[in-house]
Amino acid sequence: MIQLEQVSKRYANKTALDHANLHIPRGAMAFLTGHSGAGKSTLLKLIMLMERPSNGRVIIDQQDLSKLNGNQIALHRRKVGLVFQNHQLLEDYSVHDNIALPLKVSGYNNLDAGRRVRAALDKVGLLSKEKQLPRVLSTGEQQRIGIARAIVNKPRLILADEPTGNLDPKLSAEIMQLFEQFNQVGVTVLIASHDLSLIERLPHPKIHLHQGHLSGAFIGSN
Amino acid sequence: MTTDKATSQAQRSRPETLGKRLLREHAEVALSSWIRLWRTPITNLLTWLTLAIALALPGTLIIMLNQAQGLADQLHTSNQISVFLSLQTSSEQAQAVAQQLQQRTDIKQVTFIAADTAMQEFSLASGLGDILQNLTDNPIPATILVEPQLKSADAIGLLAEQLRQQESVDQVLIDQLWLQRLQAMVHTSQRATWVLATMLALGVLLVMGNTMRMQMESRREEILVIKLVGGTDAYLRRPFLYSAIWAGLMAGSLAAIIMTLALTLLQPSLTDLASSFNSTWHLHNLTIWHWLVTLFGSCGLACLSALLTVQSQLRQIQP
Repeated sequence: MIQLEQVSKRYANKTALDHANLHIPRGAMAFLTGHSGAGKSTLLKLIMLMERPSNGRVIIDQQDLSKLNGNQIALHRRKVGLVFQNHQLLEDYSVHDNIALPLKVSGYNNLDAGRRVRAALDKVGLLSKEKQLPRVLSTGEQQRIGIARAIVNKPRLILADEPTGNLDPKLSAEIMQLFEQFNQVGVTVLIASHDLSLIERLPHPKIHLHQGHLSGAFIGSN
Repeated sequence: MTTDKATSQAQRSRPETLGKRLLREHAEVALSSWIRLWRTPITNLLTWLTLAIALALPGTLIIMLNQAQGLADQLHTSNQISVFLSLQTSSEQAQAVAQQLQQRTDIKQVTFIAADTAMQEFSLASGLGDILQNLTDNPIPATILVEPQLKSADAIGLLAEQLRQQESVDQVLIDQLWLQRLQAMVHTSQRATWVLATMLALGVLLVMGNTMRMQMESRREEILVIKLVGGTDAYLRRPFLYSAIWAGLMAGSLAAIIMTLALTLLQPSLTDLASSFNSTWHLHNLTIWHWLVTLFGSCGLACLSALLTVQSQLRQIQP
């Protein structure tokens, strides 16, 4: 599902990835670890086409991302659900409208979008908050709304960048359970996190990023 | 389970055709952009007024000058020559000259205005009746208006020259001369107005572009999130284009209203001015055609400006 071939990403004064190889199969759930600033976000950004690699190829779902341009980038992003640490909810949109965004950009009508939004809200256990504004919700609830937005389009791949960064251990564990539930129905999940105490308790493969080099699970040998 | 029920219902709903989908999306965006306009009514109203004034100023001038051009063209077809007789000429002598001119084959028509009649008209028109009555002598000469048979400038010039040689003729004026001057003035004013209009249209583009830039800056976060969830540039452009269309329509309507008011205010004094030239010309107000041109022009400028700004801004705002 996620394939990196000799991928390097260099910035002016540092190298975030150095000839990295990775192959995460479809349906897997994995953690990407490393200290903050190690380049975890860079890897996720390469997959989201928010950044382009300096070298090498990123292949998602058998599609070489280097070949995508303009509208194809938008279409690629629709296939990936993205969860942020700071949830990136729009303050002047209701919970419903926030979650409906990925559907609206894909051209869903209000009726169908409404059904899907409610289904996603039901999955994260916040069906009763549909009409509220994000700012009246707790941090944990806001993060769940962010997750609902990531899954509402039924993506085959979910990326999460420090999804439990602002949460206490109990809430963090609940969020991880949610990701496990999506993984159980076949969604590939990659979670970037430096919360080692939490992820060491979970039985999923870990990929470690240190000074631009990957180690651990799913590391390709080419 | 509510979820399963909702999902199966969603799957059952009939897929739309592409055309229907686009139509629905555009209608939704048009409506939401319209509603968004009224969240900051004062700011928007001020922008619309700025645009409207920039449009109404050249618009009013163009409409007036086009009509003045029509007037000049219409007057141009009369090749009248005014023959002023000397003050010493008696009324009988003057009439005799007029009759004599009427005999000529190169003259189509002769209108005689006696010195007394001219004086009466002048004292009525000027309002100086009392003062003029105290004069012992009539300072206004008898006038003969001559309509030549031939229309060419040469023939008229020759006839004028012959009339000048006539006994008791003091002065001969060819109306064409001042008509030519009037036309030249109208032409120059028209040119100047088009230059002004072009500059103000550029101003409209810049004001609109700046408004768009500010709108996009205030919605930066929204644009970023929409880009991340897979919104295309076309999708992102749409609300801004519609807000430009609405702004264009509002500014265009306001401009048309301002122009109507301006022309209504100018109408009486211009009609008076025209009647002092013995013309029944009067200024016409905005026609439906003027309204349409103003609305479409304003919309077109706003859209052009939005297209240019939005595209470059979208390229800059990247997640």
